This record gives sequence, C-alpha cells and structure tokens, in this order.
Amino acid sequence: MAAGALCWALRAARQVLPSPCPRQVRSYYVDWRMLRDVKRRKTAYEYADERLRINAIRKNSILPKELQEVADKEIAALPRDSCPVRIRNRCVLTSRPRGVKRRWRLSRIIFRHFADHAQMSGVQRAMW
Amino acid sequence: STSSVLSADKDKFAASKDSSPEGAAKRQEDGAQTPKQQLLDIIGNMKVEVSYRKKLQQLKAGENKKQAMNKLEGLDGEGSVPQGTTEDTQRGKPLNPELVKAASAVASSLPRNKKQTESELLAQLRRHEETTDKQKKGGIINIRNVISEMAVKRQSPTQRDVRISGRISLQLDEDGQRIRPERSSAVDSRSLKVGKRLNIFTKASTEPEHTLKTASSPTIWDLEFAKEVAAVTAQPPRNGFEEMIQWTKEGILWEFPIDNEVGMEDEAEFHEHIFLEKHLECFPKEGPIRHFMELVICGLSKNPYLSVKQKVEHIEWFQKYFEEKKELLQEI
Repeated sequence: MAAGALCWALRAARQVLPSPCPRQVRSYYVDWRMLRDVKRRKTAYEYADERLRINAIRKNSILPKELQEVADKEIAALPRDSCPVRIRNRCVLTSRPRGVKRRWRLSRIIFRHFADHAQMSGVQRAMW
Repeated sequence: STSSVLSADKDKFAASKDSSPEGAAKRQEDGAQTPKQQLLDIIGNMKVEVSYRKKLQQLKAGENKKQAMNKLEGLDGEGSVPQGTTEDTQRGKPLNPELVKAASAVASSLPRNKKQTESELLAQLRRHEETTDKQKKGGIINIRNVISEMAVKRQSPTQRDVRISGRISLQLDEDGQRIRPERSSAVDSRSLKVGKRLNIFTKASTEPEHTLKTASSPTIWDLEFAKEVAAVTAQPPRNGFEEMIQWTKEGILWEFPIDNEVGMEDEAEFHEHIFLEKHLECFPKEGPIRHFMELVICGLSKNPYLSVKQKVEHIEWFQKYFEEKKELLQEI
C-alpha cells in the first residue's frame, strides 16, 4: 500500500513533457481529488467496451436468466473505478466539483474572472 | 661545374618539353615543381653579374616571370610540337607588351637558341590568348543561340484576364506562400521537348543516394545526436504566430479549416458496415443466442460512429463469451 501511494505520489508530480522550447507547462494536478478523477476516467475508458457488452447481455429479455445473473456477477467483479458513474466533471483549473459549466470545463468563479478580463472568446456581459 | 649544371638544365628542359600532356599534367603537381624551382634558382644565380640595364629588365621581367613560367607549365602540357610557323601568321590580337617582355627575358635566360625559344614562347602565348578569346566569345554565342530560339509571344485577351485575376487573388498556402497559377506548357505553341539541348542544367546523379541508404540502421548515439540537434535548433517562438504553428505541429491546435474526420479514415465500403451476417457463422443457427446476435448485428449496422474493425471486435468478443459459457448453457 505504501509503495502504491509512493507510485501515485510520483505520478502526481507529472514530469514535464520533453518539449524543445521552454513553455509554461502544468506539471502537477491541482489536488489529489483531481488525480483520482483522472484515474477513474482512464479506467472507465479502458473498460468501456466490456461494460457495454456485459450490460447488453444483462438488459435483455431474450437470453436465459441464468446467463444474465452470471453477467451481473461479472460486471460487479470489474474494478470499481471503471464505472463511468463515478466520474465527476470537476473544474479544470481549481478542481471545484460544483458550479462547473460543461462547455468550458470551468467553475463559475474563474469563468467570471476570465470573462471580465476579456479572455473568453465570444463571451460578453449579458444586457437586455 | 657550371657547364655540367647547364647540361643538366638542358636535359630537364628537353624532357619537360617532349613529354606527353598527361605526364605533364601529373608532373605539374609533383615533380615539375622541383626541376622548375631548380631552374628558377639557377637562372636567378646566373643573373647576378649582369649590368644595371639588364638588372632593370630583370626586375620588370621578374614580376611577370612567375606568370610566364606558369603559362609555360600550362603550355608545355598542351603540346610540345612547335606550331609556331603556322601560328605566327595568325595575329588577330597583339599580345600584352609585358608578356612579350617576360617571354623575351625568359628566352634570353634559357641556355638554348634564344630566337627560336622566344618565337615559340610568343606563339604559345598567342595561342593561349586566342583560346581565351574564343571561350569568351563562345559564351555570348551560346546565349545568342538561346535567344534566337525564343520569340515574342502576343498574349490573347483571355489569357491576359486570367493572369490579372490570378495576380489579384491572394491564395495563401499553409506556409503563407502564394500559390502560383499553374504555368501549363501547353500554352506555348511548341512543346518543351522540341529543340536542341542547351546543357545548362546537369542531371544530379542518383548513385550517391543509393549508397547512403545502404548504411546500417542509426545507432543510439546517432539518435541522441539528432535529438540534441533538434533541441538546439528549435528556438522558442518569437511571436504568437510561431507559437500557434508549433501548437499545430504538436496537435494541440486544430488545423484550419477544421476537418471533422481527422484520424478517422475508414476505407471500408458501406456493405461491410451493414451486412455483418457473415460474421455470425460460428453461432448456432437457432435459439435465443442467435436471436440475440441478430439484434446485436442490427444495432451495429445502424451505428455510424464505429469502424468496421470495432464492430467485428464486438462480435468476436460475444463469440468468445458464449463459448466460455457453453457448459452453463448445456445445463439449461
């Protein structure tokens, strides 16, 4: 467990990509919760096809029920992080779980900050 | 001792004169230097006791001597046969007086018959001048040949309009360079391949390319060196445009105009997407499983977002799954 935690600690400090020119690169995730969310997204992507197929067997009225029960057990045996329900659309910059607009992936506070500084393309203060 | 030296010089000079051009060309680089050097030294030594007048001549000639000696070396290689009698009559252009003086000085310094040597040297100089003149004129003549072939062509009004419109429209390539309207060779009345070759451009030989490709695969050191070079040459972007160019190359920025199907090239035909029944051969022909798989195929055929490969993978997974569960199915 400690070794696993160490591994994750190392991976949290993502190494800078080998880019030729020095540029500001985000090399750390904002916090551990964001990191866990990233993990969940990755495993969900890996197991997406399997989950789809097993669910197709489960949500079925044609196949025998015994087969469906076996499929239930199989899908429960998959890693817990592989289900897409556990993914939370956090803010990309502050990792805020609530008040996130999906189009910009930003929390409402920094969205307002950037929009007021005219750094959001096509976003204007509403007035009518 | 001076007589022996003189005779040695005579032999050397004779040998140098009678040699073939190839041998002279070779000797000019290696051996010609040493006997000529010796000759020059001896000539220099011989002229120590002369009068003041001759000394003046010597000084003047000495500056041109090297030129003359170089010309001598070049001329000796050309041909040893004295063609002075025929060439003497051809005096198209008077020779440079300095060269004449140098030739006379050299002829006087040499131990042989002075008048004969002087006439021969002058003849060779004249020949040299003629060849240079010919080369100079030859260049002009070639250009005249080229120009004579070309003729002034009158633009038709349609072509003129096309060209003007082409100039006005600024079509930018990806790199920002203007796209030139294609100059079709069919516009000219005569084709490109007709007419004698001018031999202005030489064909680049393709042999060295083949030899380079046969080299062994690049070693780790080569890769590291290449990486280093790339890292050094890739300078940070000077402005926003270069930054965007770099981002596009990395794939962070999309290429404009946006192509929705980037990385999604599907070369399969529509019938491969729709008619998936041929993949159902391994399944039993009756029963609920077949029913289920037919539904699966119906759904996959209606799915435009998956590639054929992905659909086949789905079907194969189901096949494997049902084979594993065969014992279970037999019990039912």
